[in-house]
Amino acid sequence: METAIHSRQIRQDNPVLRKIGRVIIWILLIALAVFTLIPFVWMISSSLKLDREVFAFPMRWIPETFHWENYSLIWQKVPLVTYFKNTAFIAIVVTILQTLTSSFAAYAFAKLNFRGRDVLFLCYIGTIAVPWQAYMLPQFIMMRSMGLYDTLWAMVVLQAFSAFGVFLMRQFYRSIPTELCEAARLDGLSEYGIWARIMLPLSKAAIATLVIFTFVNTWNDYMGPMIYLTRDVNKTVQVGLRRFIQENSSDYHLIMAASLCSLLPVSIVFLCLQRYFIEGIATSGLKG
Amino acid sequence: MKKMLSVLLAAMLVLLAIPAMAEDQVITVVTWDATTTPYLAAQKEAFEAANPGVKIEYVDVASQDYAVKTTTMLEGGDKSDVYMIKEIDNLINWQAQGFAAPLDTADYDMSGFVGTEANYAVDGVQYAIPFRSDFWVLFYNKDLFDAAGVEYPTNDMTWDQYAELAKKMTNAEKQIYGTHYHTWLSAVANWAVCDGVNTLADKEYSDLLYFYKLYQDLEDSGACMSFADLKAAGLHYSGAFANGNIAMMPMGYWYVSTLIGYNKDGTCNFNWGITAVPHLEGVPAGSSFGNLTGAMINAKSENKDLAWKYVAWLGGPEGAKATASVGARPAWVSEDVAGAMASVEGFPADETSKGALLPSGVAMEWPVAEKVADIKTIVNEEHSMIMAREITPEEGIEEMNERVAELFE
Amino acid sequence: MSQAEVKKVRRKMGKLERKNTLVAYSFLAPNFIGFAVFTLVPVICAILLSLFEWNGGDISKMKYVGLDNYATIFATKKVAEKGIEYFFNRADLGIALKNTVYYTIVTVPLTIACALALALLLNKIKGAVFFRTVFFFPYVSSMVAICVCWSFMLMKNGPVNQIIMALGIDFNKGWTADSTMAIWAIILVSVWRNMGYYMVLYLAALQGIPRELMEAATVDGAGKWKQFLHVTLPQLKPTTFFVSVMMVISCFKIYDVVAIMTEGGPGRSTKMLVTYIYDEAFVKIRYGQASAISMVLLVIVLLVTIIQFSSEKKFSND
Repeated sequence: METAIHSRQIRQDNPVLRKIGRVIIWILLIALAVFTLIPFVWMISSSLKLDREVFAFPMRWIPETFHWENYSLIWQKVPLVTYFKNTAFIAIVVTILQTLTSSFAAYAFAKLNFRGRDVLFLCYIGTIAVPWQAYMLPQFIMMRSMGLYDTLWAMVVLQAFSAFGVFLMRQFYRSIPTELCEAARLDGLSEYGIWARIMLPLSKAAIATLVIFTFVNTWNDYMGPMIYLTRDVNKTVQVGLRRFIQENSSDYHLIMAASLCSLLPVSIVFLCLQRYFIEGIATSGLKG
Repeated sequence: MKKMLSVLLAAMLVLLAIPAMAEDQVITVVTWDATTTPYLAAQKEAFEAANPGVKIEYVDVASQDYAVKTTTMLEGGDKSDVYMIKEIDNLINWQAQGFAAPLDTADYDMSGFVGTEANYAVDGVQYAIPFRSDFWVLFYNKDLFDAAGVEYPTNDMTWDQYAELAKKMTNAEKQIYGTHYHTWLSAVANWAVCDGVNTLADKEYSDLLYFYKLYQDLEDSGACMSFADLKAAGLHYSGAFANGNIAMMPMGYWYVSTLIGYNKDGTCNFNWGITAVPHLEGVPAGSSFGNLTGAMINAKSENKDLAWKYVAWLGGPEGAKATASVGARPAWVSEDVAGAMASVEGFPADETSKGALLPSGVAMEWPVAEKVADIKTIVNEEHSMIMAREITPEEGIEEMNERVAELFE
Repeated sequence: MSQAEVKKVRRKMGKLERKNTLVAYSFLAPNFIGFAVFTLVPVICAILLSLFEWNGGDISKMKYVGLDNYATIFATKKVAEKGIEYFFNRADLGIALKNTVYYTIVTVPLTIACALALALLLNKIKGAVFFRTVFFFPYVSSMVAICVCWSFMLMKNGPVNQIIMALGIDFNKGWTADSTMAIWAIILVSVWRNMGYYMVLYLAALQGIPRELMEAATVDGAGKWKQFLHVTLPQLKPTTFFVSVMMVISCFKIYDVVAIMTEGGPGRSTKMLVTYIYDEAFVKIRYGQASAISMVLLVIVLLVTIIQFSSEKKFSND
């Protein structure tokens, strides 16, 4: 027992061993990062090739000649600007609605006691479990009769009230100590007050997560827009991408170029929001 | 001042009213790859020129999602006037569901379809008109044959002769493959239906065995790329042949227009030609199989008369000329149309290629039959097992026979 | 306490409860109304549809068939005749179920382990911003591009196999064209794509662990490993619950990767529940049967969730 503690202390205090540990972690991280990035390197290199060079053997990581024109070609071949605008509109509106309504509902599920809570919550999770392909048809018929078919609002209402956001926020709220709410209640704060003044500020990291996820999922959604949006003025980037895949030929080089372009906005959102993972709630004066 | 304003207002109203009065009648047509398919543009242009005041508007659906998107649209009560039919099953389903309007073909000449229109008829009533009929031909790279000093393939070749030729053309050192098979069932084993007797829905698949063996022999000898590689890379036959190291390739006629396009934009710059696909001993030369593309009128269309005018035109000789003008093969067959096809700029000028334009018989790739969608799934699943060499061709065919039989128990 | 007093207290409590319930409903309403109209109602329709035979077209063509759809997909006749092996080896549902469960059992723990490890490594390290972004990248990019890309990586002579060969392992197969490896190709792509996503969740949760707890553990002389086991891991439980429920559900619903990379093949080796549903609904136009398969999926996922749910309750009661 004593030796165990002793050796641990040595390990903790020995700066050489610590450094070696650090180095190992770094090597591991870099190796993992390379594994993660290799496919992207291939995507970039393919986006600068001719169509028939993409799958040519032996493969070349660096294209023979760089076909930068692919990146201007994609904007000419399909109305990508319109697609980007539509996607941005849907993603932004959905993200705002989703974050607001689900953090509201999640508070009730996490911190309030009311009749039917668990059943209702299971209903939410239950719908996540049903694949969309199964209820797509009834949903479509309903949306059509509401006159939402082939409008951007169809995509908004479809995604803004998903059960996923409620579930995610509920889990985060549950990790916030209930004592905090009770103390606030004793101080005379209403439930709305607790939500606004205590829960929201404490769940910055969770909200950032939800914003990122909602934005990314909406941005990358394919099946939804494919079914609900028909006219070219309404299409989204992901649907537009598939226009490079045709019945009897596919322009893989253009798909790669366009999907690299569509990666940019989402990456920016992620970069902007990820600082919230550093300023967590740990520093906001909570007692454990 | 007041007067001037009111005059201005009146003028504006008139201006606004003019386009409203002269508004074109619009036919909406649901189709796939609308912006990139040359024949759709050619058809639209020709029809609009022949019918002033009528406009064609395409509703573009991604080709790989055509079935699911169109099904949802129709179930949802979509009112688009015309739906193009990608696979015969589409129409059979839509007819059963009541989405297809019956066509009045009493005064409509269908002789040019040489019987293919029967695939679109249910109980003697026509529900759609074919306008494109692709059949399979053999493409070959003339430059490779010239360089090797081997004679070109002909319109009358047996499969054994073809296999021999493929091996002869193979040159491992120069990475030249004698032939190329795309991963589809249709490219490898569908040939069994060319005799017009066998079909893929006849519940008996031993007739495919010969073609699987032929394929595996070619793959083993290195005369074609392996299925595993093609599948994993998703390597598309269009790029593969255009690379210039493949001597022959059986493929659908639609590839002609792709190749002409490649020659134009410089993607490939070798000479090529087409011949009829090889045949089995005892089956007439020039027998092939193919697929139909057609158009039906939506039962919910509010514009059926006009839609019929368009669909009738599309299938008939005039529409056929428009379709043929860009290298696609119309369903309407005549010397005229074959002439139009051969005169497309970039079409190979030799007699063999021209001869290949008029096949002696075209069987359907998939027939209209009970449970054909289920059979398709089964046969394709076993096909991929045989091709990946998970099972032998004999085992695969036994599985096909057994599983299809189970469907009908 | 007198009878009257008890009644009074009860009434007061009832009032309070009612008020609480009202407040709770007001919190739920904005989300619930949208959710009920656009998701719950269609889902209920789908559940009912599983009892009907409907091959599309007019709603009047729907025919109530009771449990017939279930009998068909479970191949009950054949199973009665040839035993349960028939279901798992020959019936489409059995094979799809087997594949999906296999895929889920491998993918869920693997992804969670990777995500948690990444989150712990990146929680407090210089350059974390860069690495986090790198690991989140796969999730952000479009599915088609990714799948096309990985198909190429996993070819017979592709980069992945070259690395494996360089490690001295004799492996010379195209992954997606081999019936044992194809499912692993899908697992690999799924883990690669999703680990960054779940890493973000864990990162956010790690921020929620009060620093005081960590410090207390350090003062107690607990080593890193003990600290992780006794402080970090328990604090991450709500997140792990969420992650595992969501992962099980999304694994059971796997569709895109399969549709693009293998189309369920070779043979039926990567046929999954949702590819089967899709095929029944939109290729064979048998909506009733497609709904019945979805119900099988729903029941399995609900069972798994309820088990996870009750273990969560146990934890929160400690």
